[in-house]
Amino acid sequence: MNLRTLALCWFLPLSTFASAADSQWVLQQGTLTYHVSHRLHESEGVSHEVRGKGICHAGQCDFLIAVPVKSFDSGDSNRDLHMLQVTRGAQFPMVTVRTRLPESASTSAAIQADLEIQFAGQTAQYKQVPFQLITQGNQIRITGTVPATLTDFKIDPPSLLTIPVKNEIPVRVDLTWKPQ
Amino acid sequence: MRLPAARQNRPSGISSFPVAESQANAREQALLDKRTRMLKIHQRMGLITAVPLLATVISSAGAGGKSTSTSSRDLHAALGGVTAGLYFTTAYFAIRAPKITGTQTRGPTRVHKALAWIHGPGMILTPILGELAFDEKSKGEKVHGIASAHGPVAIVTAGAFGAALLSVSVKF
Repeated sequence: MNLRTLALCWFLPLSTFASAADSQWVLQQGTLTYHVSHRLHESEGVSHEVRGKGICHAGQCDFLIAVPVKSFDSGDSNRDLHMLQVTRGAQFPMVTVRTRLPESASTSAAIQADLEIQFAGQTAQYKQVPFQLITQGNQIRITGTVPATLTDFKIDPPSLLTIPVKNEIPVRVDLTWKPQ
Repeated sequence: MRLPAARQNRPSGISSFPVAESQANAREQALLDKRTRMLKIHQRMGLITAVPLLATVISSAGAGGKSTSTSSRDLHAALGGVTAGLYFTTAYFAIRAPKITGTQTRGPTRVHKALAWIHGPGMILTPILGELAFDEKSKGEKVHGIASAHGPVAIVTAGAFGAALLSVSVKF
């Protein structure tokens, strides 16, 4: 399959569906930050390469957010490569998050979302994750923390000096959406 | 606010990422796995090496003296030999670990690698100078010439090794 065919396979379903959608949201900018705790270290990895789209139909909006695993930067190249290895980031290069929200949620100050996250070849569900919404003009900024753990994605905890990191890897979410 | 039961009518927004970035690469994963395996061994061996290194430094207190042969000097030499052997095995796993193209070294690893330029030559020089000093002592001579640098070179080497270990262990 050449690149053009591959691109068509991905774009076609989106454009076909988009024509039937009532409204759409596009991610203007986004930051995801994971936090890892170790007895000797606290470290964070940040990615700004977040892409996302929301398609609303009949009062319900389906959102898809995606970020490349290798785009996370912790300030230490060795740690980033090790993270890429333990999360099988070359084999499963994207983290995708899917959620469905009612269209009316855009006017709320806080929402609780059920998330389906695909990462490291595994799919985990997070129920009722709280997020805060701030309306800035026609944009909506959503912030919150996903209570992710290594075991959710069957990731062996990396270790430093034979001491493994903690299982909890909370991911801070900061997304700014605008209607398309 | 429930997850949809069916996947139909869902956006497929990851199409905006470059194909190379969003496609699985088994070869790169294998390379990453090998790199991690080798660096894990490097880390463990480094910790193990620190034990005889410390013992060698401590035993150096009894390695001097005027006598031509002492058991504490032999012990110091033996510990030094073990340290050097373990050190070069440790270094092998770091040097031979696969490099990932397009990755620039950043953070504490940069300090860790820079320190290798001090303790690496030091670990070659220290045993050579130690051997010279040992010979001179065995002949009943006072340690002189280049051999007298054995102690200072060893201290700098051990210090750089300790700093390299701490650079990737403790956040500063």
